[in-house]
Amino acid sequence: MGDLFLLAISCILINNILLAQYLGNCPFMGTSKKMETAVGMAMAVIFVLVMAGVLTWLTDTYFLKKFDLEYLRTVAFILVIAALVQFVEMFLKKSIPALYAGLGIFLPLITTNCAVMGVCLININEEYNFLQALVASFGYAAGFGLALILFAGVRERILLARVPRPLQDTSIALVTAGILSLAFFAFKGMV
Amino acid sequence: MREMIKMVVVLTVLSCFSGGLLAYVRSSTKEQIENQVLEFVKGPAIRTILQGASNDPITDRFNLKVGDREETFFVGNIDGQPSAVAFETSGKGFGGDVGLMVGIDVKNDKFLGVSVTTHGETPGMGARAKTDPGFVAQFKGLGLKQTLKVTQDGGTINALSGATITSRAVCSASDEAIKIYKTLKPQLVEKLKDFKN
Amino acid sequence: MAKSLTQEFVKGLWNEVPPFRLVLGLCPTLAVTKSVENGIGMGIATTFVLVCSNVLISSLRKVIPSKVRIACYIVIIATFVTVVELVMQAFAYPLFLKLGIFIPLIVVNCIVLGRAEAFASKFGVFRSFLDGLGMGVGFTLSLMALAAVRELFGTGFLTFWVTPIRIFGPSYQPFSFLVEAPGAFMALGLMLCLMNLVGKK
Repeated sequence: MGDLFLLAISCILINNILLAQYLGNCPFMGTSKKMETAVGMAMAVIFVLVMAGVLTWLTDTYFLKKFDLEYLRTVAFILVIAALVQFVEMFLKKSIPALYAGLGIFLPLITTNCAVMGVCLININEEYNFLQALVASFGYAAGFGLALILFAGVRERILLARVPRPLQDTSIALVTAGILSLAFFAFKGMV
Repeated sequence: MREMIKMVVVLTVLSCFSGGLLAYVRSSTKEQIENQVLEFVKGPAIRTILQGASNDPITDRFNLKVGDREETFFVGNIDGQPSAVAFETSGKGFGGDVGLMVGIDVKNDKFLGVSVTTHGETPGMGARAKTDPGFVAQFKGLGLKQTLKVTQDGGTINALSGATITSRAVCSASDEAIKIYKTLKPQLVEKLKDFKN
Repeated sequence: MAKSLTQEFVKGLWNEVPPFRLVLGLCPTLAVTKSVENGIGMGIATTFVLVCSNVLISSLRKVIPSKVRIACYIVIIATFVTVVELVMQAFAYPLFLKLGIFIPLIVVNCIVLGRAEAFASKFGVFRSFLDGLGMGVGFTLSLMALAAVRELFGTGFLTFWVTPIRIFGPSYQPFSFLVEAPGAFMALGLMLCLMNLVGKK
C-alpha cells in the first residue's frame, strides 16, 4: 500500500509527465490559453489515460507477451488507444451528453497526445504489475491535469502583462513552463 | 454497403501488409539486436571489471536462476584460469534504480571491481558514480565478509560529495551481489569448470 | 496553390519549420535535445517515417475511404515507426537506448499525422515526397540547433557522433541547468524569440 502511494506521488510530482518527462507538450501549449479549456483537457486526459493504461497493459501481458509479438507493441498500442477514444466518444455522445459537451472536442486530440501513449509504454518498460500500472496511469494523468491547470492560471495572467513583441505567445509560454518545471524539479529526490 | 466492404478490405489489406513487413524486418534483425544489447549495455562495464581476462567475457556466459528470475553471469579467464564472474545487480538511487555490474574473484572471494551500467541520476552529481573512476575503485579488492556502507553510515566507502544517495545505492547493490554470490557459489564453481579449455 | 516543386521542399526549412513555426512535435524536441547526436538520430528517424508515410499515403489516397482514413494513416505510420525501431536497435543500439520511448512515440508526433492529413492526402506522390523530406530536414535541423545550444553551454561538449568533442576548455563551468527539463523549455522559448526577431514578417 505504502509503495503504491509513493508511486502515485512520484508520478504526480517528481516525474511529472509534462514538466519532467516532456510528454504531452503539444496540448500543454495548445489548450492552456484559457482555464476553461485547460480543465476540459485535463479531465479528458485523466478519463482516457486511466482506461488506456489498463487496456494496453492487459493487451501487452495477455496477448503480445504470450505470443511473442512484442515487436508489434507500437502498432498494437496506438490502435488500442485510437479505438478506445472512438468508443468513448460514441458512448459519451449517446449516454452522457452533458459530459460529452464538456469533453467532446478534446477527445479526438487525445489519440495523438503523446502523454497517453507515453504512459502506456512507461508502464510496460518499468515492468509494473497490474495494480502499479493502474496507479501509475492515474498518477501521471493527475500530474498532467495539475500541471496543465496551474499553467493555464499563470498564462491567463500573462495576457495582462506587457510582453516584448518577439517573446509573445508561444515563446513566453515556453519560458514560463520552464520556470514551472523548475518548481517541480525541486521535488526530485523526495521519494 | 459497397463503401462498407471497401473499408473492410482496405483496412485488412493494410494490416496484412504491415504485419508482413514487420515480421520480415524483425526476423532479419533479431540476432543482431541480441548481440548489440549485450555488447552495449553491459559490455563496457564487464570489460573494465574483468580487465586482463584472456577470453571474451561476453561470449563466455551462462545463465543461472536467482530467486525467480534468470541472471546472466559472464566468465573471465584470469591468469589462464576461468576464475572470475561478473553479474548485474541494482540499488535504489536518487532517480530510480542504479544498475551495477559486479565482478568477483571466485578463487579468493574478493571484489574484482564494480561499474555502474544504467542509472537515472542527476548529471554532474550522482551520475559521477559512473564517470568518476576514483569512487568505484574503492570497491576493488574488498573482501566479502563485511556489509558495505558509506562513511556517513559508519562504513568505509567515501561517498561522492553531494551524491550520498547514489553512493548508498552502489553500496546496497554490491551487498546484494555478495548475497547472490554466497548462495550460488557451489553452482558457480561447478559452472566455471566448463569453461576450462 | 501552385507552388513549384522546390518551394514545396524549401517551405519545411524555414517558413513552416515544424517545431518553431507550427509548434508541433514539441515533446521530442524538448526531450531528445540533450546532445546533438540524439537530435540527429531523432531527426533522421522522424524524416524516414515522414517520407515513407507521406509517399505511401499519397499513393493510396484514392483507395482509402475517407471514413477510416485516420485509422489507415495510423496503421501506416505505426508500421514505419516499428521498422525504424527495429533497424535502430540492430545497428545503432546506443542511440536507441538514449532515445528510449521517444522512438515509438514518433507514432503520435503530430507532425507526421499532420502532414499526412494536411498534405499527402491531397497531393501527388512526388510532391508529398518533397514535402515530407523538407519537413523532416527542417525538423532535424531545428533539433540540431536546439541541441547544440543546450549541449554546448550545458556541458561544454558537442557530440556529433558517439564521442563528445570538448569545445570549451576545462576551466569552463558547465551550466548544467540547460540539459535538465526546465532548461529545455527555456532554451526553446528563447530560440523561438530569436527566430521571431530575425524573421519578422
